[in-house]
Amino acid sequence: MTQMSDLSAAADALGVPESIVQRSAAARAAETGMTVDEVLAAWAGGGAAPVSAPTPAPAAEPAIAAPEEEPAGEPEAPTAPAPPAVPSVPAPVAAAPIIAAAPSGKPPVLVGKEDHPLAVLVGAVGLFVAVFLVGLVGPALPFDEPGARSSDLPYSELALEGQDVYLTAGCGSCHTQMVRPIVADVGLGGVTLNDSNQVLGTRRFGPDLSDVGSRLSGSQIETIVAGVGGHPALSLSSTDLEALVAYLVESKTAVPGEGPGEDSGAGTEEGAGTTG
Amino acid sequence: MTATQTADIRALFGAGADEDRVATAHFLAGSLFLALAGVLQLLALFALRFGNLFPISFGRLESMANLAMMLGFLVISLTGGIYYVLPRLTGARLWRKELALIGLILTSTLVLLDLLAVVLGFGGGRQPLGLPWWLDLPTMGTLLIPAAVTIMTLRRREEKRSFVTLWFVVGGVVWLALLGAVYLVGDLPFVNSLAHVYSDLFFSAGFVTLWVFTVGSGLFYYTLVKELDIPLASRQLAAVGFWSLGFAAAWWGTAQLVFGPGPGWLDGVAAALGLAFPIGALANAANASVTLQGHWEDLGERPGVLSGVIGLYFGVIVAVLASFASFPSIGSVAALTGYWEAIEYAALFGVGVLLTAGLTFEALPRLSGLDMRSPDRPRSFIRLTVIGVGGVAISLIAAGLLSGYSWVAGSNSAAYLDTGEGWAAGAGAAEVLLLFAFGFGIVAFLGQIAYVSTIVGTLFGGRPVPQEVLVYGQDVDDTNE
Repeated sequence: MTQMSDLSAAADALGVPESIVQRSAAARAAETGMTVDEVLAAWAGGGAAPVSAPTPAPAAEPAIAAPEEEPAGEPEAPTAPAPPAVPSVPAPVAAAPIIAAAPSGKPPVLVGKEDHPLAVLVGAVGLFVAVFLVGLVGPALPFDEPGARSSDLPYSELALEGQDVYLTAGCGSCHTQMVRPIVADVGLGGVTLNDSNQVLGTRRFGPDLSDVGSRLSGSQIETIVAGVGGHPALSLSSTDLEALVAYLVESKTAVPGEGPGEDSGAGTEEGAGTTG
Repeated sequence: MTATQTADIRALFGAGADEDRVATAHFLAGSLFLALAGVLQLLALFALRFGNLFPISFGRLESMANLAMMLGFLVISLTGGIYYVLPRLTGARLWRKELALIGLILTSTLVLLDLLAVVLGFGGGRQPLGLPWWLDLPTMGTLLIPAAVTIMTLRRREEKRSFVTLWFVVGGVVWLALLGAVYLVGDLPFVNSLAHVYSDLFFSAGFVTLWVFTVGSGLFYYTLVKELDIPLASRQLAAVGFWSLGFAAAWWGTAQLVFGPGPGWLDGVAAALGLAFPIGALANAANASVTLQGHWEDLGERPGVLSGVIGLYFGVIVAVLASFASFPSIGSVAALTGYWEAIEYAALFGVGVLLTAGLTFEALPRLSGLDMRSPDRPRSFIRLTVIGVGGVAISLIAAGLLSGYSWVAGSNSAAYLDTGEGWAAGAGAAEVLLLFAFGFGIVAFLGQIAYVSTIVGTLFGGRPVPQEVLVYGQDVDDTNE
């Protein structure tokens, strides 16, 4: 049988277009090491492979026997040379668009309703925009009149470079620069307002650093950054270290007369770099 | 319920369609990124407890772990899942499958570049990914590709009936692209510190809710119904799950700044609307449970489906914990502590991985014609993941609450004043719990290795089984008009 006639025969037998049969045969041949002709011959019914008549087969019923599961000696094994291991061909069950019962005769399970999923897109975008406006834009807008206090600290140029170092080194993953008006934060410095220009952060595995400049001196900070007291040793260039120290030393938010800087002066470094 | 079926195709003969090869490539690449994420997260947990013993700080390691996990594993794997179900539910060929493949290559390359940038000190320090703006831009840009492929494929759909999975898929890809845009807003030079941190939290929480939970649950609906050959219990409950997750969006991110410098009204709004999160998660878990009525025993032979079901229940726990801590009374203790670290970890490494496995374990045989040789490995994956991730989460939550209370106690005892460290005894106990977290992290990592070995082992040494091949009603022109 020629390849063309096998192709037609296979397409007829399977009830699918020739181009798809051709592509499937080529892929099967590549996978099994057979030639396309052999695969097509098998699928067309003329090959030596065990080609059964196409019968509807749901996915759950293996049409390809696993090699290791095949019995060692098949009773009906042909006396002819062993055929190439071409799998039997389950019939194409249906082709899209399908509005058909499942092959098993059971009621279909993946049922849908006529609607337009792209309409979901409109709703999804609308919902997102609403959440975005209420949850992000609204709260981020300045909402207070300028008052006596501000959390917008007058950092020097060097300190602002240090803020970049602070960000790049990942300090903000462990340290906050945000003091809240709750008991847990009493004594950490002035309460942070929404005009803050510090790196607020969202985790406090180490101490809050919004007012660290009131507690520690530059040399103490250098010591901690070098890895003393359980703090990870940061390998920074001297320029970066100088900038980082400047940023932290200039981080002073305590309200005069209320903050730790006023009460205790430069504090101890005890525990300032540990996790917890 | 009408007795018709969507364009789902059942078993045909070998030779995968190009679309399916694209999906398979996504699953494989995603699994490799999971292994990388597992290593990085383990190192991050180590650095959290023993920061001075490791040359890279916890901050950088956590960003790298997030990059590998969120973009490397969860975006790539779930996108592969979307490419798997789309042709099957729409009857249309994947729109520009070459673009889908390019998207995979671009995302993978960028994630690797991102990791390199962070470890070499070029990071930008933003959470959760820690990238500078010039890497944020292309990285977030790649998130547009799944949205484009999905929407354009849907526009060409042949099947007019929609299975519920399509809602979750459409919502997920659009929300992911929008989340990327919002994250980029935080890079704009005029954005102040407060907007900056809100943007970061919005992205983190939105990624979990709108991508991991939404797409993961939606794809699992398909797996559950198809693999067990049982109809979905309730389309309405699925709709409740979908829209609730959309509504929950990013509130539990905002709630992490309770009592912070944001407006006071936001705390109440975030707590109230954050309740949508457990409602959405519970609706999906309940729907799956009712669907499974009378078929629970089938899960023993279906490790993929089992993984998905456990992922849904895990999701309910995570959502309840997140919602719980969104209330100001609890947030005053839990905010800024390891409690929220636990929520994010459990959502990504627990729920995300289990739901993804719920799809990939069952889809791979259909896509490749190869099945796992033994269900033992996927079962080990489930067991180790639940124990490991659960253990890490419990340890971090306990450490977080201890820290939170120690801050209050330290403040009250004035021991707090100079160190900002909290009550010393409490802080010390928290360190022990962080050690436990690292120990459980090792168990979770073993689970991740079991996942990777299941995927790789199936693809390169699996047992031949019938392969599902896409066949269309007519010989569809392969050009992507």
